[in-house]
This record gives sequence, structure tokens and C-alpha cells, in this order.
Amino acid sequence: MTRKLLYTTVGLTLSLLACEGRLGARPGDELVPSRRDGGALAEGGTVTEAGVALPPFAPVAATMHRLTRAQYTNSVRDLLGTVTVPTDLELDTQLYGFATVGAASITVSPRAAEQFEAASYNVATQVFADPAKRMALVGCAPTAADDACVRGFVARFGRRAWRRPLSMVEVDRWVGVARTAAGAYRDPNKGLEYVVAGMLQAPHFLFRVERGEAIPGDASRRRFTGYEMAARLSYLYWSSTPDDALLESAERGELATTEGIRAQARRLYAAPRAREALTGFFSEFFKLDRLPPQTRDRALYPTWSPELARSMLGEFERVVSDVAFREADIRDLFTTRATYLDQNLARLYGVTGTFDETFRRYEWPENSPRAGVLTTAAFLANNAHPVTTSPTHRGKFIQQYLLCRPVPPPPAGVTTDIPMGTGRTQTFRQRLEELHLSNASCAGCHQVMDPLGFGLEHFDAIGAYRTTDNTLPINADGNLDGVTFRTARDLAQAVRNHRRLPGCLVRNVYRYATGHVEGVGEDVVIHDVEQAFAARGYQFSVLLETLATSDGFRFAANGG
Amino acid sequence: MKRFRLDRRTLLKGIFGASAVSVALPLLECMLDANGEALAQGRPLPKRFGVWFWGNGVRRAHWTPNGVGAGWAPRAEMQPLIDAGLREWFNPLTGLEIKTATHPHHSGMTGILTGARYQQLGTTRDTIVTTFARQSIDQYVADHVMANEATRTPFRSLEAGVCRFHGTDEGTTFQHLSHNGPNNPNQSEYNPLTLYNRLFGMGAAPQAAVARQSVLTAVQSEIRALQPGVSAADRTRLEQHFESVRAIELRLGAPSAACSAPVRPLDGYPDLMGQEQIAQKNQVVSDIIALALACDLTRVFSVQFSTCGAGTVFWMVPGFRSGMHQTCHDERASADPATQQPMVHAATTFTMQQLAYFLAKLRDTPDGANNVLHNSAILCTTELSEGYSHTNDEYPILLAGRAGGALRGGVHWRSGSRENTSRALITLLRAFGHPAASYGVAEGASNAPISELLV
Repeated sequence: MTRKLLYTTVGLTLSLLACEGRLGARPGDELVPSRRDGGALAEGGTVTEAGVALPPFAPVAATMHRLTRAQYTNSVRDLLGTVTVPTDLELDTQLYGFATVGAASITVSPRAAEQFEAASYNVATQVFADPAKRMALVGCAPTAADDACVRGFVARFGRRAWRRPLSMVEVDRWVGVARTAAGAYRDPNKGLEYVVAGMLQAPHFLFRVERGEAIPGDASRRRFTGYEMAARLSYLYWSSTPDDALLESAERGELATTEGIRAQARRLYAAPRAREALTGFFSEFFKLDRLPPQTRDRALYPTWSPELARSMLGEFERVVSDVAFREADIRDLFTTRATYLDQNLARLYGVTGTFDETFRRYEWPENSPRAGVLTTAAFLANNAHPVTTSPTHRGKFIQQYLLCRPVPPPPAGVTTDIPMGTGRTQTFRQRLEELHLSNASCAGCHQVMDPLGFGLEHFDAIGAYRTTDNTLPINADGNLDGVTFRTARDLAQAVRNHRRLPGCLVRNVYRYATGHVEGVGEDVVIHDVEQAFAARGYQFSVLLETLATSDGFRFAANGG
Repeated sequence: MKRFRLDRRTLLKGIFGASAVSVALPLLECMLDANGEALAQGRPLPKRFGVWFWGNGVRRAHWTPNGVGAGWAPRAEMQPLIDAGLREWFNPLTGLEIKTATHPHHSGMTGILTGARYQQLGTTRDTIVTTFARQSIDQYVADHVMANEATRTPFRSLEAGVCRFHGTDEGTTFQHLSHNGPNNPNQSEYNPLTLYNRLFGMGAAPQAAVARQSVLTAVQSEIRALQPGVSAADRTRLEQHFESVRAIELRLGAPSAACSAPVRPLDGYPDLMGQEQIAQKNQVVSDIIALALACDLTRVFSVQFSTCGAGTVFWMVPGFRSGMHQTCHDERASADPATQQPMVHAATTFTMQQLAYFLAKLRDTPDGANNVLHNSAILCTTELSEGYSHTNDEYPILLAGRAGGALRGGVHWRSGSRENTSRALITLLRAFGHPAASYGVAEGASNAPISELLV
């Protein structure tokens, strides 16, 4: 009991520290609790570099994960070949920043059931109305409603769609559906069409059902079955359903071993489609779904448009994909000089040269004010207001999401208005320093956010470069936990090198991958992944592979 | 001549089978009694229950009417309802407050729609993350309506939205109105064409119904077979899945195309010149719901005009630049209440114009000898009192419709002692004819309908 209390207290202290002004005052070591020895607590256990004793690994209970919109769309496409998947589907429920976390607790509402029904008939019809597509999927021509072709297809398609072999009862049930539909239409192919549409409405497709299995000789926990592991891996790397190779690997029992999982993880990572799925992780991590609907003052930012926002997202995705998949140090996301521009962005950034609608690789000059994702328009505009920049939001993003130091929201009833005319000519920074930082009740939190955002003040509310604000020169000086910066590139470098960055990234990928916010019994997994990640040059592939083979990804608690 | 039982649905099914037809249906006269006040077989005309919700509250100085009882004078933000001739069709309730308050948006949203606190999912993020702890009041009523064969409708409930902004990271409370339970929302449909097709779309071919039925049966069998092997929480999730599939099944036999809307909406109402077509979307959503109610496709609905804490940009208001929520925080409040926050005031007045369109549409849609609004009980409300102060007292509530004659209209009722907002909810339930003795839980519970508003 004492142990649990201690761990809880550590977590609580972190968020409180953030607003008592101590966060920046003890550079880099604000996570260190008062005791360093760990004592009996850490006996045989893990102690972090900062001296925090981590409790032994304790998995969480298995749960069902409903497919997200992207997972549903990708899975249907992978199962059926070239089809257009309807977009009339429920919105994802993001929890803790990720739709995959929400997917572990949502269900199928009446409306969602209607939408899934309509979508499944829509895609099934697309396949069966086209003899070539039908043959590609079915592979045989049924002559009776329940002949060998039908039975074989039910078993084969069911295994792909439900990510595991079907029982005899299940095969019989769906052959029965085929019989009924074929009879109604007097057409055995119609029977198969209804089987396809129906299996896509079943809980075994709409949810990733995970229950785990008993482990011989270890009653303390359960492990995910081979087929469950196949799905966990493919939805992590591809945001989609397992392919045949993965299911066969599960069938052979290979996914019960670290080596087997690693081999498949490498294969999945090497496939081009991993790029799209994992780039999607970064877009969600950076909350970029909020960018296109934003508004900007038309007089100040006449070039702002949803099209420009889409260009910004295009650049962000390409930069991320470039760094993450060239086996570079993923921290180079914050310092890379390579980027990708189309004509919209070239105009916004003032880059001369020939650009059109397609993206072209471009290298920022050595002396450019820009480098890395913190200086992309996507990040800068996403963390800004319609009229002004938002040093607060930009700084908060860095603290809260990149360094995992939560900052509480302003108390209810507080006036967050920023008065316009003071009669004096001031930069936005000067006004915020007066408003937020000279007032003790505001300063507690704002002093950990605003000063980081000031480092990005050379970029306006749509990410264009500027040297003055309200006719006065920009002051972008500051320091991050003792590391001083004078420009956005210095700040980005300080973020890149911050000791909290890798662990925070691991923590976020872990949440995305497992669909839940880690319990204290999983901190040790996150710690171990971070160690391996660091030891091999912070390659993103290593992070994923270590995570995929970790206990946290493979085991579940008993019961549940 | 001997009269046999025949309800509208049986009749339509008999005449048209399951094929798509276009019939002007507000209640067929042949099915009404001589006075048009009840169905011919003696059953009362249907009553409808609804919620019309907007985000970010009102400006109190422009909201609270002068005078109570029947002799009140409206202030500017209620004026659009008066201008639409709706004075006798709604009752302003003032002076009530949310008793479960701990967080302005979340407490108000769940307090006014469930009479209970939110369920908090997390504490360590930048803000609280919540979902509804209980089903929302529309679903509470839908349970009652669907439990009785005589009042059951093809659609359990309808959920529609107008302004598309919705939160992303504060849980379902910030995104959706109607809930079946925790993390189990009924998402609002924001595309008018999709809403139209769902209600009035073409019916399926007869042989398809047999095949669809066999699929739905198989899916239900799969759910039932799966349930024993999963956790208790997952069993509950699967139970909802089962109910959702069952609802489709119940509708299979019903004539989906018996009612045909006169005008098919444009697809989606995309932004024009970067501006959301709010009034246009509100009109077509209102028209569709009015017809769906008149055709008795459902008796329970909710319109989420804007979400709680919505960042909707009311571009038609001069000077409006940020989203509504931010503007509520940022626009300066002057010392003079009459001139406070002019942009927030203008946006709220615009919102009330949209509510006025909706209510007037129901009033102008015939329903037996009366109209749909006469036979409806509608909660019109928001998630806090004022966006600027984020308070939960002086809660803005309008009870609209006459609940088939059970609810008065044109009365401003004011609580003199800051009573629980659930008094408004139990009043509406009573007017609707719901047997509940009380509504809400713990500090949010009330068993005291406002008798001055009931006939």
C-alpha cells in the first residue's frame, strides 16, 4: 500500500510542480524525487537514471478495441481489393490524444450499426457487381448455395476478416446466411455477397477482440494469442488488418516468441504502407486534425485558406516520413534542414524557384531561420490565434506533449482577454510579459509556457517569417531548463537534446499502440524501451520494434 | 359497421409494401377521429420529446425577461422567438442552477441532460476528460417510448447537428449530446442529405429484406456467443452493439419510404467563401425533423445546434474573428450591462433566430387538428449561464411546445431560491406523460415538477 501511495504521489507532484514555478528552476531534474537510493522498493527492480524506483511490470486486462475510421477503411480495402469505402461513418472518439485509446471503450451505437451496415453492402456490391473483382476475391464459382466453393470461401474470408480461423459453428452459421440470400435471389453469388457484407458487420470484425490465453507454467498473467498478436502488430504498423503472411506466422506459433514478433515487425516496417500509418501517428500526436477548420483574420492573413492548411499538412507529413524512415535519429525531426514544399508553401515561406502543386524536396540554407517541425507552418499555425501568434499554446505544446509535463488549464472564471490598445507601442511578447508574467496568479503556469513560445515569435499566426512585431524588433531569447536560445533553431535544438524528449515520445507511442494510458506497472516497460531506443541512436524503427516485443505489448492481466 | 384496428404503419405497409412511394403524410385524415384530436381507434395523437441545444450560454443582461407569470417582457436575446410569433409556445425558466457543478462546461452539459455529474476519465491532462455517466434524457424517454408497442416508432431517436465545430480531446461530453451511457454517444448527423436519406431514402427490394434479416440474425448470434468470454465492461459494450443491430431488425418490416420529404437537400452545405452556411443548414435540418415527427418516424429527437464550448465562427457578426468560445473569454465586458460583449450578444441573438426557425417550423407543420409543436415537449438549453464567467447559476432554459395540451405556454417562471435545474426536467417529463416520479441523482435529483407550468 505504501508503495502504491508513493508512486501516485510522484505523479501528482509533477503536475503541481509545473505551476509553482519550480519547473524551470531545477534544470532537467524536476522528476527526481527526494530519495535516490530506492531502498527496499527497488530490490531486484528497475531504478531510472534519475533514481526513481519503478514498480515491477504489471500488465492491464485485455479489452476489445473497436476499429477507428482509418483502421476500418484500410481493413475493408485490404480484404476486398480495390473498393471505395464510404466515408459516412462515425467520428472517432479521441481520448488522451489518440483515437486508438478511445476505441478501447467505445461501442457500436444504433447509428453506427446503420452506417456499418450500409457501408458493408456498399463495398460488397462493388466487388460482386464486377466479375473480375468477384473472381479475385472468391476464387471459385459457386453452383449451389452451400457447395464446397461457398464453404471454402466462408472459412477463408472469415479467417482474413476476423483475423483468426472460424469454428465449425461459425462456418455453418454463415453458410446458412449464404443459403438464405442465394435462395431469395436465386443466385449463389448473392449468397457470397451477403456473407461478405455480413461478416463485416460482426463484432469479430468491428472490434479487435482480445482475450489472451493461459501461459503454460505461469499463472500470474495471460499472453495475447498468436492471432491477437498478429492483429496488434498489423494495426500498429499498418493501421490495418493482418495480411496472409502474418496470419500464417500466427498459425505456426511464431508470435509467441520475441524472435517471431521481431521478424514480423521488421517485415511490416519495411513495407511502404507503414509510412502512411505511422505518419498518421505523428499527425495525431501533433493534433493537426485541428488545423484545416481554423480561421484567420482576413485583413491580416488574406492567403489563409483550407488549401493552404492542406499544403502545410503535406509538408509536415513528408518531413516526418523522411526522418522516421531513413533510419535517422528521430530527434532530428526538430533540426532537419530537409523539407518538402509546394507552390503555396514556397510563397508563404518566401522561397524562390519553380514550384507547382506537387511537393519538391528542398534544403533550408545553413543560415535559414527554419529547420525541423517546430518551424513548419503546420505546427506554428496550429498553435496560434486568428489575429495573433500564441506563445502560450506553442510553449504549452512543447512542455506538455513533447516533454510530458502537464500544464493545468486556467482556473474557471479567469479573464483570459488580452487587451488591445495600451497606448504604447509594444510587441506581443512585451504585452504578454506584462499580463501573464507580472501577475503572480497567472505567472505560475505561464512562465513555463510563454517563454518557450517567445522563441518562435519570428513566425506569425500562419507561420510566415517576420523580423518585427508591431514595428518593434522580435526578441526570441530564452532558455529551456538552463539551455539558452536566441532563435527558433536554438530552441528546436534544445528540445531535440532535452533528456525528457525520448521518454515522452515512447510514452505517446505506447498509448497509441496499446490503446490505453499506461498504468504505473507499465512505466518499467516504457523505461526499458527508452533505454534500447537510446542505445541504438534513437531510430524510430527501434522504438517500435522494442515496444512490439516488450512485455507490455504481449501480456495481459488475469481476469478483467 | 365493425371497426378493425389499423394503425398508420400497418395501413402503409398494406398499401405500399416495402417499395418506395411518395405520400404527403401528416396524419391521414381517415385515421383521425371526427375532431382530429386522436387516432381513429381512440389512441391519443403521438407526443414528441426533444432537446434543442446550443453552446456557450447567453448574455444574462440580454436574456432574463422582465416580470414573471404571463405578463413578462422579453429582452433582446429572446426577442427572435417573440418576433416569430412563438410567445405562447414556450416558457422561459430562470433562476435555476446546476447543483453538481465542479467544472463549468462539463457539469452543465451532463447536469442539464442527465441530472447527474459527469464521469471523469482523467485528471492529469491539461483539462478534464469526461463522458456522460448516465444516458441522456432523450434516451431515457426513448426507453419509455420504445418499450410500448403502441408508441414504438421506426427510429428510436434522431440526432442532428448544425454547426460542425466539435471538441477533440475533452471526451464525448464535449462532442456529442445524446448518450446511451459512458463513452456510448449517439453522434449527431451534420450532413442534411445523409439525414434525409436515412429517413426518407429508398426502401430495399423485398427479397433483400429476407437476406438482410438473415445477416442481422447471424450478427446477433455472434454477439451473444462472444459475450460470455469477455470482461464485464466489454459485455456491456457488446450489449449495446446487440441493441443497435436489433433496432435495424425492428425497422426492416417498417415502410422506410412511406413519408417523402418535399425537397431533397443539397449535399452537405459546404462552406461558401470559407463561411459556414449555418442558417441554411439549420433550415433544412429543421424541415427534415419536422416532417420526420409529423410522419411518426420517431418521437424523440435532439438538435445540437452547436456543441458545448463550441468554437463556431459566427461570421455574419461584424468583427467576429475567433471561435465563439474564445470570443466569450476574450471580448471585453464593459461596465454597462446593456453594451457588454456586443459580438457574443449578436451571435447569441443569431442562435435564437435559428431556434425560432425550428420551433416555428414545428408549429407550422400540421398534426391532426393541431400542429407538431403543440404535441411536443422540448428542452431548449445550453451548458452554462454565461460564456464570459462560465457560471452554472441562472441557467438558461426554455421549455417549448405544449405537450399535447399538458404544458402551458407563454409563462416566465422564476425560481426564487436557486433551485435545481432538474425541476425543469421532471416538469417536462411529467408534461410528456412519462411516469417517472423523480429525475436525476444525488444533488441533481428532483421530484418536484413546476406545477405552474402544467395544465
